[in-house]
Amino acid sequence: MATPPRPLDATLHGVVDYTMGTFLMSMFPKLAGIQGTRSARQIRLAGAIHAGYSALTDYPLGAVKTLPYKAHLGLDAVGAIALAATPFVTGQHRQGTRQWLPHVALCVAELSSLLITDPTGRGDYHGNVEAVRRANSIAPSSKLRDGGPAVRRPAAA
Amino acid sequence: MRANVWSGRNTVQVENVPDPKILNDRDAIVKISSTAICGSDLHLYDGYVPTMKRGDILGHEFMGEVVEVGKGVGTLAVGDRVVVPFPIACGNCWSCKHELYSVCENSNPNAGIAEKMFGHPTAGIFGYSHITGGYAGGQAEYARVPYADVGPFKIEDDLTDEQVLFLSDIFPTGYMGADFCQITGGDTIAVFGAGPVGQFAIASAVMLGAERVIAVDEYDYRLQMATARAGATDAINFRENADVVEQLKELTGGRGPDAVIDAVGMEAVSGHGVVQAVDRVKQAARIESDRGAALRDAIMACRPGGIVSVIGVYGGLMDKFPTGAFMNKGLTLRSGQCHVQRYIKPLYERIRKGDIDPSFVVTHRLELGQAPDGYETFKHKQDDCVKVVLKP
Repeated sequence: MATPPRPLDATLHGVVDYTMGTFLMSMFPKLAGIQGTRSARQIRLAGAIHAGYSALTDYPLGAVKTLPYKAHLGLDAVGAIALAATPFVTGQHRQGTRQWLPHVALCVAELSSLLITDPTGRGDYHGNVEAVRRANSIAPSSKLRDGGPAVRRPAAA
Repeated sequence: MRANVWSGRNTVQVENVPDPKILNDRDAIVKISSTAICGSDLHLYDGYVPTMKRGDILGHEFMGEVVEVGKGVGTLAVGDRVVVPFPIACGNCWSCKHELYSVCENSNPNAGIAEKMFGHPTAGIFGYSHITGGYAGGQAEYARVPYADVGPFKIEDDLTDEQVLFLSDIFPTGYMGADFCQITGGDTIAVFGAGPVGQFAIASAVMLGAERVIAVDEYDYRLQMATARAGATDAINFRENADVVEQLKELTGGRGPDAVIDAVGMEAVSGHGVVQAVDRVKQAARIESDRGAALRDAIMACRPGGIVSVIGVYGGLMDKFPTGAFMNKGLTLRSGQCHVQRYIKPLYERIRKGDIDPSFVVTHRLELGQAPDGYETFKHKQDDCVKVVLKP
């Protein structure tokens, strides 16, 4: 079966993480018309948590690479569902659409982004270079400069 | 047998797979003695070539010993040592009769997909997605070679594997790139990309009589090989100064190179951060399939009336292709997957005469089982890696 397109690699996923985290903590509550409410505090907290574990993730934009990338994606999914469930657990959904719709919309956006995220990102794993060095029967640096020109210029006419 | 298979983006694995069998009278089975990772394999590895399937055997640069031949193959015998060209060509169609082997009309069983993408079908290629036929590749212990009476080239002397292996792809590809430049002696040629194909494009331009060959890359170690081994006279590292076009003009008295070879392809990197970021995001989001930093600069740098020779692999569509510069400067664009079968014999003779020793590019020789780490080392340009040869 052909692999479905999953254009968000680990780097781009990181860009989305930090952008969304910052957006949720700053402009989102105002744009959603929920500034000063419990919903705003919940969403700001979700943004902060998201940015926080992003910084701890083992992917190219992680600062302290302790959390495996796949675990990060799992937290994304669980966090998104928890955020959507929060207004219904607390009962604030009874106070009007604005007290639950932003949570659900953010959950849908997060799950959609996961659907187009390539889960095979392996952080900064660049192969076992030490094993390659040990197994390689050639000294690469010697091939770069030693031995002189490998090509002969044509004789002048 | 063991084979290196594609297992998803950024993942290859060496697995046990069924041995290949003769399926057609014109097939042969080759026991592989040496195979290599090509820069264009990284496009598959990075997930930018569609129609890959998990379990596809990679590899289109390989050579070895013939261990079985079909009834219709009169040109080979068991025991022959052969290099196998990467394009699969029937030898009978209009394209093959005109030595345009990489656009053979018969060898791609998925011609319909290629026709939709490119307007016409292109040849089958070993281990290079299902657009090019879905053929099993040569990063394996054995490979089935279709049309074995046309492709495999016999090596009948004691040249080492690493001296002749690259006749399968990167040497003829680099040579074709230089050949397109119509070098007449005294020319200045710029080569974008000092990877393995770029090294051979540089060396070929030198062999064909170019007076100056300017290598452009972002890695000093590759530029070092280009000048010390491949024969480049000048080097530009675009990480030190991103304005490659201006630097090429400065090196050529303001005129620009007579011809520019793009040996980079669809994953080009720009020294300008914003350009790079925009192209990277658009490619990742599939808004464009090909990043155009190298080709755009090639067109902008080439002197009026000059030639832009494209041998780096592109797969689909590119944004901001500078049609105005291309048209108004009267440039000639030449390109293509290499017609290896056309070039293989004359280049083999050049190796035998000592005009070139293609083994200079090999920096890593690994056992097949280390292919996954070999891919990572090559992809991330670690350990001064230029070319990885795998020994099954």
